[in-house]
Amino acid sequence: MRHVRVLIVEDERKLAQVLASALKGEHYDVVVASTGEDGFFHANAEAFDLVVLDVMLPGRSGFEILQTLRQRHIDTPVLILTARDGVDDRVHGLDLGADDYLVKPFALPELLARIRALLRRGRPSEAFRLKVADLEMDLVARRAVRGGRLLELTTREFELLEYLLRHQGHLVSREMLAREVWKEPRRATPLDNVIDVQMTRLRKKVDADTADRLIHTVRGVGFVLREGEP
Amino acid sequence: MKAPWSAASIRVRLTGWYAIVLSLMLVVYATATFVAVRQEFQEQLDDQLHDDFESAEGSLTPTPDGRVAWSVGRHHDPDNDEERAGDVWSPNGDQIGRSGASAALPPVALASAGAQPRYESMIASGRRWRTLTGTTLVTGRSVVLRVARSEERLREQLAEVLKVLVLGLPLVIVLAGLGGYSLARRALAPIDHLAVEARRVTAERLHERVSVPNQRDEIGRLAAVINDAFARLEGSFDKLRHFTADASHELRTPLAVIRGIGEAGLVETRTPAEYKEAIGSMLEEVDRLTTLVDTLLRLSHGDAGSVHLSREPLDLGQLTRDVASSLAVLLEERRQRISIEGPEGVSVSADRLVLREAITNVIDNAVKYSPVGASIAVSIREEGGRAVVEVADQGPGIAAEHRERIFDRFFRVDTARSRDAGGSGLGLAIAKWAVEINGGSIRVDAGAAGGSVFRISLPRGNA
Repeated sequence: MRHVRVLIVEDERKLAQVLASALKGEHYDVVVASTGEDGFFHANAEAFDLVVLDVMLPGRSGFEILQTLRQRHIDTPVLILTARDGVDDRVHGLDLGADDYLVKPFALPELLARIRALLRRGRPSEAFRLKVADLEMDLVARRAVRGGRLLELTTREFELLEYLLRHQGHLVSREMLAREVWKEPRRATPLDNVIDVQMTRLRKKVDADTADRLIHTVRGVGFVLREGEP
Repeated sequence: MKAPWSAASIRVRLTGWYAIVLSLMLVVYATATFVAVRQEFQEQLDDQLHDDFESAEGSLTPTPDGRVAWSVGRHHDPDNDEERAGDVWSPNGDQIGRSGASAALPPVALASAGAQPRYESMIASGRRWRTLTGTTLVTGRSVVLRVARSEERLREQLAEVLKVLVLGLPLVIVLAGLGGYSLARRALAPIDHLAVEARRVTAERLHERVSVPNQRDEIGRLAAVINDAFARLEGSFDKLRHFTADASHELRTPLAVIRGIGEAGLVETRTPAEYKEAIGSMLEEVDRLTTLVDTLLRLSHGDAGSVHLSREPLDLGQLTRDVASSLAVLLEERRQRISIEGPEGVSVSADRLVLREAITNVIDNAVKYSPVGASIAVSIREEGGRAVVEVADQGPGIAAEHRERIFDRFFRVDTARSRDAGGSGLGLAIAKWAVEINGGSIRVDAGAAGGSVFRISLPRGNA
């Protein structure tokens, strides 16, 4: 099976290393470019499935690279990294043809989730049933069953579990939950507390009466739903 | 053209204006004086002519042959003969008598001599004359009598008056200008003094004030205003100093923790579980730092006025219920109850997300500080054209001296309160910012039955 190829254009050496090792951990083939020219050369000459592009680069800015790529009809999905969270910056990036953006500092799980979503794009969405171990969710009937036992979940808990299940095996940060499940554009302290309480309640319902816990807290990062140890 | 004038000092401009206004007034005054004097002289001359006419009339006598004779003896005066003239004609034009400089004057047109004496001005032989001509009867016979006086002396006198006025005017204006300049300088000296004093007050010496010599006069009021501005500036500086100190504390603490954990982790080999624990703990601090920096950046964007708001009419009750339900799990955890009372359809004009954040932070604050099992009362109402939402908690309350500062960034009533329990210390600062940016105000009072009442007042929207 052909590996997914990802180009990282990032001048900050440490960050580039971290990104590369995280993406390799997800079994992607990774190429790192540390200048704008280098990045443009790679993106122009080789075929990639995805480009992670820093905006502030020495020499050639990320926006310029993006613009030139799109002008040459190279439609590789591009995820932009920016330290500026001004709306104008975002709109500018998306206008130039970026597919998604992340504001630094971002959480790695978030970046990985975005990359998965971009790579998945265009494919038919998956079934209406989600499953991990003995936990099953029927999204149409809105039922969740663990080991034959029907879980009584509130609407919010159901959505939360669905999100965890869709990202099973991957870390999910509070930021992602705030935006994707709670639909809040901004993460704030009160919301963090709400998320934690909600997660505790969900875990009680899902992992009650069993030693095989599925929902795990990863300290300092977020949560993960998977079989066995996190 | 305008630049040099506006660049001149107030003193010079004041003097200039003073001189201009004074000159205009003096010119008007001098003109009026001159006109009045000339009028007066003219009337005097006419009076003299009238006297001349009457005495000339008296000198006419009938002769035995039925004619009229004129004895001019009394009028013969060598000093005045050049200045005066008298003529008498019979109705058919025969000259009956003449005196003085009458030769210099043209004969009168007899047809124009009416019964009423008439004054006239004329120029004859290069001189200006004033004449009085009339018909008079001497024992039934009518004669035409004309007396004249030269206007030259009068004109000389007028010229004297004019000379005094014209030469005196610039002198008076110059003197007045000098006087005005020194007056302006004296009047403005306190302002210069004030400027010198105000310049002394710098960022390092903001506690100093300018002296107020007399509180009642204009300078005193100006000094008071300047002092007031300094006081507010000092307040802002103090706030900034507090903020900088607090912010560096809040930012350094997580950094110190991260560093400590990292260094301790490297000193000796540990189990993978311990490493994971250490890394997780570091990430928690990073998360805290990130939130802190984000929040501070947002507040500073707000301070710089670079926040884009999309205002729309919102139902305040609905928004508040929405917030309460999003925080419901926190309330349930603490077995607290929240009641929201007030009429439907209280509308405000605000940015939904920003206002929602303000209400969230205030209610979250109430949840955090009220004891387990407490109830939180929220009321919504309209008050004098404003929409008001009040959140009453059952917390420990806030001492009066802290009520103003509770909304300051990083301010905590209980300084010993740990970061874990107290949150970021920015929640209420964000709430205040979010309310004010929407044109509202927020304050806190003591509740009637203990606790605190936070009151947010917002401009009403048109529902």
